[in-house]
Amino acid sequence: MSPGNAPRIAIIGCGAIAESYYLPAIARRPSVLERLVLVDSNQARVQEVASAFNVPNYLCDYREVLNKVDGVIIAVPHHLHHPISMDFLAAGAHVLCEKPLAESVAEANEMVAQAKRYGVTISVNNTRRLFPAYSKIKELLSNGAIGNPLSLKYFEGWRFDWPTASGFYFNTKTSRKGVLLDRGAHVLDAICWWLGGRPKPISSENDSFGGPEAVAHISLEYNGCAIEVKLSWLSNLQNKYIISGELGVIENGVEDWWVVPITSKSGKTETIKLKSKEKDYNDFAHKMVANFLDVISRHEKPLVPASEVIPSIALIEECYKTATRFRMPWYETLGAPDGK
Amino acid sequence: MANEKTVFVTGATGFIGGRVVETLYLSRSGHVRAGIKRWSSAARIARFPVEMVLCDIMDKEQIVQAMAGATSVIHCAVGEGDVIIQGTKNLLEVALRLGVERFVHLSTAEVYGNVSGKVDETFPYQYTGNEYGDSKIEAEKLCWEYCEKGLPVTVLRPSIVYGPFGATWTIGFAERFQSGNWGIFKDYGEGICNLIYIDDLVSAILLAARHENAVGEAFNVNGPEPITWNQYFQKFNAALGLPELNEMHPAKSKLKSVVMEPVRSLGSYLLNHFRDSIMKGYMRYDVVARVIKQAKKSVNTTPALAELNLYNRHALYLISKAQDMLGYSPKFDLDAGLQISVRWLEHHGFLLQRVEDGCQRSRGPISVPSDRGTPLEVDG
Repeated sequence: MSPGNAPRIAIIGCGAIAESYYLPAIARRPSVLERLVLVDSNQARVQEVASAFNVPNYLCDYREVLNKVDGVIIAVPHHLHHPISMDFLAAGAHVLCEKPLAESVAEANEMVAQAKRYGVTISVNNTRRLFPAYSKIKELLSNGAIGNPLSLKYFEGWRFDWPTASGFYFNTKTSRKGVLLDRGAHVLDAICWWLGGRPKPISSENDSFGGPEAVAHISLEYNGCAIEVKLSWLSNLQNKYIISGELGVIENGVEDWWVVPITSKSGKTETIKLKSKEKDYNDFAHKMVANFLDVISRHEKPLVPASEVIPSIALIEECYKTATRFRMPWYETLGAPDGK
Repeated sequence: MANEKTVFVTGATGFIGGRVVETLYLSRSGHVRAGIKRWSSAARIARFPVEMVLCDIMDKEQIVQAMAGATSVIHCAVGEGDVIIQGTKNLLEVALRLGVERFVHLSTAEVYGNVSGKVDETFPYQYTGNEYGDSKIEAEKLCWEYCEKGLPVTVLRPSIVYGPFGATWTIGFAERFQSGNWGIFKDYGEGICNLIYIDDLVSAILLAARHENAVGEAFNVNGPEPITWNQYFQKFNAALGLPELNEMHPAKSKLKSVVMEPVRSLGSYLLNHFRDSIMKGYMRYDVVARVIKQAKKSVNTTPALAELNLYNRHALYLISKAQDMLGYSPKFDLDAGLQISVRWLEHHGFLLQRVEDGCQRSRGPISVPSDRGTPLEVDG
């Protein structure tokens, strides 16, 4: 990086996440935007996005910017996170990878090792790690505020409406992993982080008939804590987590990042209000991007080092390996066999 | 795949189109190609490893690519009136040009308008001023025009279709019953509910796509038993395990509908014109969210005037033509169809249950904004 200059970074992949999350954050910094390079294999798409954000530099092949940037934001389809990150790390660029870090723990380990080998960093945009409520819960659980956790339920379901530009989520030629990888990257990471370890899978069911699953139910166990996770792309669920401990219960909306309500055994609820500058997702993008730029230019520590999410990547992989299909009577009448 | 027949389904992410795709895939009935308007709605059918192609039926270039090599077309896509008419015309044009062997057009029994009595396919079209029904009449006329030109077209006219993934008559009514603000409507609900379980409709669609007698014909498609709307409400409500429905006073019901009509229109207008501002308010201010939720709940649990008229319509759409010419035979009586539907609703969290089960207590009117993407999904 040239002294006195803003870091030169590239965004690899100009899909919906680049357009709606990273670029508005970078646009707040004209000196970075000026030197930014946008890359997307789709010429029309990269031109469209570059034009929308007045980015002068754009191209279609990421290999053209290897060795020419200080850092990259990897925002390509999930299955490409690993190979493209590996190339940039080897070229000495810091990497901020969109979640999920990788589709397998082997890939994730390779990415972390590659960063170490070339003396750069790799971090991951697990945004919920930045939620004040999530940090507070980690602290509360560590301090024994609700005693030993006995059960943890996390339900997250929204009708899928992400404006995916390429539709890669549903391309079975590149990946057959669906909501468990996409939402699980947040949910299972939060669970591993809060509990301080990787739970053991008890059961894993989903609704895949060979394509990416849209509903997944997972049961896990960790040091006596029974964990239940329900994820859906097809309907709105409660969108809550409930952590019940020996001394109390934490129950909160999955995106209520500014509060933590705790109910004691006596039934009294205390709501901890947290200071949060962040009002919406754009503010978290701003924080994540600001940190990434500081990692590059000031050698600061990444907010979410990639190594920290490896337990959840491993857990997701295990859940896929052991998954069976739900019993769905509405398909049995069409001749669908029960289970995988 | 070289000699395999390719069935191209439009509107494949929708209630009916999605089920056609699922049925064709699970029954291993040839190669199915699912036409979708946008990727963001593909989560349901993507669970099946079927071919998916982008196909906005208003875009002829996309249609040409999507339909290339298809031997038959099942047209389930819907939209506003202009999409129903022009989109159907676009598909018919391309299908004729490409030499498609069979074209099944999903129409509606609404083309008969506000009739009563036993209605067969000889009944004339009747315009009512309802955009959906009137547009479907125009689309049917286009079908006959292209049939004259040599395209082997079949038209199906279902009425009230329910079952898994059904928004209006399944999810919508489950919500209404669970709200506690819905009942039976005495005389207003004694009209005939021409109810058909989704799989019976799909079986009719596949017969229409394959049977040699189907070409150039229109068929009513209905379920096995005539029931009234009040019966549907009661049976569905009971299948959900809810307390018995109360009788709603006819005059009060109508008055409430009349009163809510401007609220309904205003709500639509505001959402259509000020969606972004409303969403910002919804996101940031609890009071705005509460007002929107309350307004949505009131609108959703009050029948629109057009609905009251439907519940009081004494028309039975006869299926003898489909039975005689196609061998159509509906299999799912109301009990069987409801039983499966309720299991499906439960699986997807649409039933009121304990929070611990992960199911929602009530559906918010608008998705919460997040990293998942646009927060603008208003159910419907």
